Amino acid sequence: MTDLRDGPMRAPLPRRRLLAGAAALPFLPRPALAQAKRGGRLTVAADSEPPNLNPAIIASNGVFFVASKVIEPLAEADYRAKDGLAPRLATAWEGAADGRSLTFTLRQGVTWHDAKPFSSADVAFSALEVWKKHGNLGRAVFRELEAVETPDAHTAIFRFAVPTPAQLIRNALPALTAVVPKHLYEGTDIMRNPANQKLVGTGPFRFAEWRPGEYTRLVRNPTYWDQARPFLNEIVYRVLPDRAAAANALEAEEIQLAAFSAVPLADLDRIAKVPGMKVYSNGYEGLTYQLVVEINHRRKELSDVRVRRAIAHAIDRDFVVRAIFRGFAATSQGPVPKNDRVFHATDVAGYGFNPQRANALLDEAGYPRSEGGIRFRLRLLPAPFFNETRQFGDYLRQALAAVGIDATIVSNDTPAHLRAVYTDRAFDITVASPVYRGDPAISTTILFQSGLPAGVPFANQYGYENPEVDALIKQAAATIDDAERVRLYNAFQKQVTDDVALVNVAEFSFITVARDNVLNVSNNPRWAVSNWADTGFAV
Amino acid sequence: MLAILLAVALAAPILAPGDPLAIKGDPLLPPWQTMAHPLGTDRLGRDVLSALIHGARTTLLVATAAAAAALFIGITVGTIAGFLGGWVDEALMRVAEAFQTVPAFLLTLALISVTGPRVPTIVLGIAIGAWMQPARITRAEILSLRERDFVAAARVIGMRPLEIAFREVLPNALTPVVSLAAVIVAAAVLIEAALSFLGFGDPNRFTWGSMIAEGRTVLRRAPFLSIIPGIGLVLTVLAVHLTGQGVAKALRTRRHAA
Amino acid sequence: MAGRRPLALMRRRLIGVVPVFALVVLGAFALLESAPGDAVDAYLAGIGGGDAAQMAALRAEWGLDQGPLPRFLAYISALARLDLGWSTAFGRPVLDVVLARLPNTLLLMGLATGLALSLGSLLGIICGARPGSLQDRTLSLAAIALYAMPGFWLGLVLIVAFSVERRWLPSGGIETVASGLTGLDRAADIGRHLVLPVLSLGLVYMALYLRLMRDGMAELWAQDFVRAARARGMHGARLVLRHVARNALLPVVTMLGLQSAAMLGGSVVIESVFAIPGLGRLASEAVARRDTPLLLGVMLLSAMVVMLVNLLVDLAYAMLDPRVGSGTGG
Repeated sequence: MTDLRDGPMRAPLPRRRLLAGAAALPFLPRPALAQAKRGGRLTVAADSEPPNLNPAIIASNGVFFVASKVIEPLAEADYRAKDGLAPRLATAWEGAADGRSLTFTLRQGVTWHDAKPFSSADVAFSALEVWKKHGNLGRAVFRELEAVETPDAHTAIFRFAVPTPAQLIRNALPALTAVVPKHLYEGTDIMRNPANQKLVGTGPFRFAEWRPGEYTRLVRNPTYWDQARPFLNEIVYRVLPDRAAAANALEAEEIQLAAFSAVPLADLDRIAKVPGMKVYSNGYEGLTYQLVVEINHRRKELSDVRVRRAIAHAIDRDFVVRAIFRGFAATSQGPVPKNDRVFHATDVAGYGFNPQRANALLDEAGYPRSEGGIRFRLRLLPAPFFNETRQFGDYLRQALAAVGIDATIVSNDTPAHLRAVYTDRAFDITVASPVYRGDPAISTTILFQSGLPAGVPFANQYGYENPEVDALIKQAAATIDDAERVRLYNAFQKQVTDDVALVNVAEFSFITVARDNVLNVSNNPRWAVSNWADTGFAV
Repeated sequence: MLAILLAVALAAPILAPGDPLAIKGDPLLPPWQTMAHPLGTDRLGRDVLSALIHGARTTLLVATAAAAAALFIGITVGTIAGFLGGWVDEALMRVAEAFQTVPAFLLTLALISVTGPRVPTIVLGIAIGAWMQPARITRAEILSLRERDFVAAARVIGMRPLEIAFREVLPNALTPVVSLAAVIVAAAVLIEAALSFLGFGDPNRFTWGSMIAEGRTVLRRAPFLSIIPGIGLVLTVLAVHLTGQGVAKALRTRRHAA
Repeated sequence: MAGRRPLALMRRRLIGVVPVFALVVLGAFALLESAPGDAVDAYLAGIGGGDAAQMAALRAEWGLDQGPLPRFLAYISALARLDLGWSTAFGRPVLDVVLARLPNTLLLMGLATGLALSLGSLLGIICGARPGSLQDRTLSLAAIALYAMPGFWLGLVLIVAFSVERRWLPSGGIETVASGLTGLDRAADIGRHLVLPVLSLGLVYMALYLRLMRDGMAELWAQDFVRAARARGMHGARLVLRHVARNALLPVVTMLGLQSAAMLGGSVVIESVFAIPGLGRLASEAVARRDTPLLLGVMLLSAMVVMLVNLLVDLAYAMLDPRVGSGTGG
């Protein structure tokens, strides 16, 4: 029910994997667009119903999945365009050399769903009053945004108090710049505005209704700025709470599409062979999740780097990718995923699967096997967010048993897990699934930076402290030069991997399964959370 | 039938030595393919046969412990309420009524998601939802026995009220309550399965319920994963039920004879 | 004569309701209060994180910065004004959320109970008509086998068989999404959606009624008035239905009351399998998202439903069996 699909950002290059005979080929030059007809209702599986659907406040995939069709960002991720960005409400953007300002040229002839005209005032209001004040991730990225000047109705100039890397803001455009209508939000309690549930935007679809526990329905926006779009008349998000439900509903043709791996990976081989079904393993390159073992460095045994290295060596990453992810993942050794060709450091310390080495390291650290072959015991808290995090928990318990560490799985539901790990710090090791958001500065360095107050989730509550790492993080955050930022983040990756601050195991994203008459699926790196204006049924 | 099940459960460590959670082979091997895994393997390559055997152990352990706990709470409450009467009776019965008014499964679910799914909390959670009926029946029996001669005799020799209740009255009131045990055991097996289905099983143990729940996502691809423990579950509940019926019958005839 | 007794019964029931409700509220509140993590933790997991200041602001907005006692008192005083509070998980008033789901659950429960009762009694009569016969043994065993099957599993198998392999019935939901159907067409649509969930829930409970009916009848055969009727020359179906079955119905009706709460619990799982927006699923969502007012709302509403069913059962009991005085208490 809860999901942890949070705000993704652009990934520099698409990673793809082909499922024999089933996957689309995003990298091949496509015919401009497959021939879709106008009309039709697309019913898709949904597993969560966020009470607040405002993407300008909540950058999470559960929200975007619905809201991205109604409310548009300034730009969207794209496989081919420059900087990996396709224009949406902004048609051009230009950063100043000193890193203090960024100028957006806005699209003309756009109207809100309630027929009021869209202008730069809406952008200025959204940036200063919503993203900066209420955005769950925007607050950090736009913290230094001082003012937004609007010399005319179609220009917005963002002014920053300190030099801000333009690279960082660009990476933030698809996920953190949803523009909401000023005329509905100004002077209201923004968090409690009814428009957070009954969305009003500029997108290709209008919000029609939400029946809690049943479905959310969107209908075609006849006055969309791109007159040729959208193709579909309606999108219906049907709530399917059970894990086995999406595959059944797809086969029964009650829904036509299930994104975010709603069809369990273990069932994919079978469903790929069902006539009329198509499996897409791309379209999530901008939403890379990392499978990680979090370590409580306060625990005596785990404060020894040899023990942490032993844990890293005990894990057979290939088996994890093969058995748990059924091949839909890649092994990982460091905090920046391989698909980020800009920031990924290739020369970090690798910890291959080597139980002998692990045993030797544990002996060396002074934890011999006692009777029963056990060296010491740990509490293992697998995050309940995904099937795969739970299953990896089951695997990790066995992998550790093989090197003499007896791990007891403590299973919690979502709020209890968050409380135990990030507030009470009552764990030894966990299985977590942080998201890499296209730039290490956004949500990755916070996993390693020391001195955070207890209670901040998805952050370093692990007791890991390395002054060198803290210094690197601080320095990189204030560097505008692209190459220099990359150099600093490489050094950072090397250091934290050397320390085994966390154990990175795999990088994964999701699978979409759709009926084969649904066209233009997975044609951008954030497809599931993009606007679906070009998606439609075959003629 | 029940005897065989019990024997298998008790002998689990001998029949299938080693950790049943250990990953032994390739994932999702179908049954009857290799001698090493006669019933195949699950998603992570764990042996289904040894999971089944160890699962029997945990399943029966949870169910009998839950039934025992429910009976214990129920009998204690029922005896106190029935024997003391007055406001104590009134208060305890109101509590029982409150528990009976709220769907027991919801209560169990809430309790377990709050305490975390471990075997002891699952046992407690199931017991919390099942003690009311034993309590009512015990109370009714006690009420009918309270005024009998042997109770008066015990009073005369100066036994304290609760002592009389538990030592003299209770043993005579026990029979109808005990025949409830089978029903509770059977229900507990199913509740545990439903909890696992909703993701509230103990991840450190195999139970048949958790095996069925795990297997349901691959119901079409590897139906054996949920069918095999499913058959086990049906047989167990059936066995428990039939045994319970037999015991109840035996008790009834004995009571009629007495 | 039938007029006064039910009234007294109702009055007594209604007076008894107050302390029971108080206990339910107190218990549910204490339970969620002792849970690790609160609504803000649940919310943050759903949205993928936030900073410390935002969390504090949310806790203040939802009143979670205050201790349990002031919040409990606030809840009680609001409840006295019939205000069930605000659901943090759904961002709307609790009353709206629960009332939207109540009809679905009542429908599911009612139909499943109807199925279990009617089919169970019917088969019970068939079994009880000739206790110990082959048909008795086979039917009893089959019913217990169904009872021993986890409801969710039965549901999944039914879905695969009747929705996926043969597309006879929908695999989930309560009605066709935004179908625009009204009146009888809509009722038929809802009916089609409910066939499989009602079967999965009802068949499981059928065994209970079958057993009760069968055992009740088996015992009655030995009783004097039945022997007398037989002696008078009553035979076959007439005897079975007129005397034996009618008397065996009493414990069945009692069971109906006892089972109403259990059935509500069983619907949690069935509602999840069939994606039916009902109270049971709502309760588990409320727990998962630490939405205390919502959980309390569901508990209160389901307690009310259970009490109402029991009241009806008492009334039915009084009518079915004129010998029963006012001794049904509790």
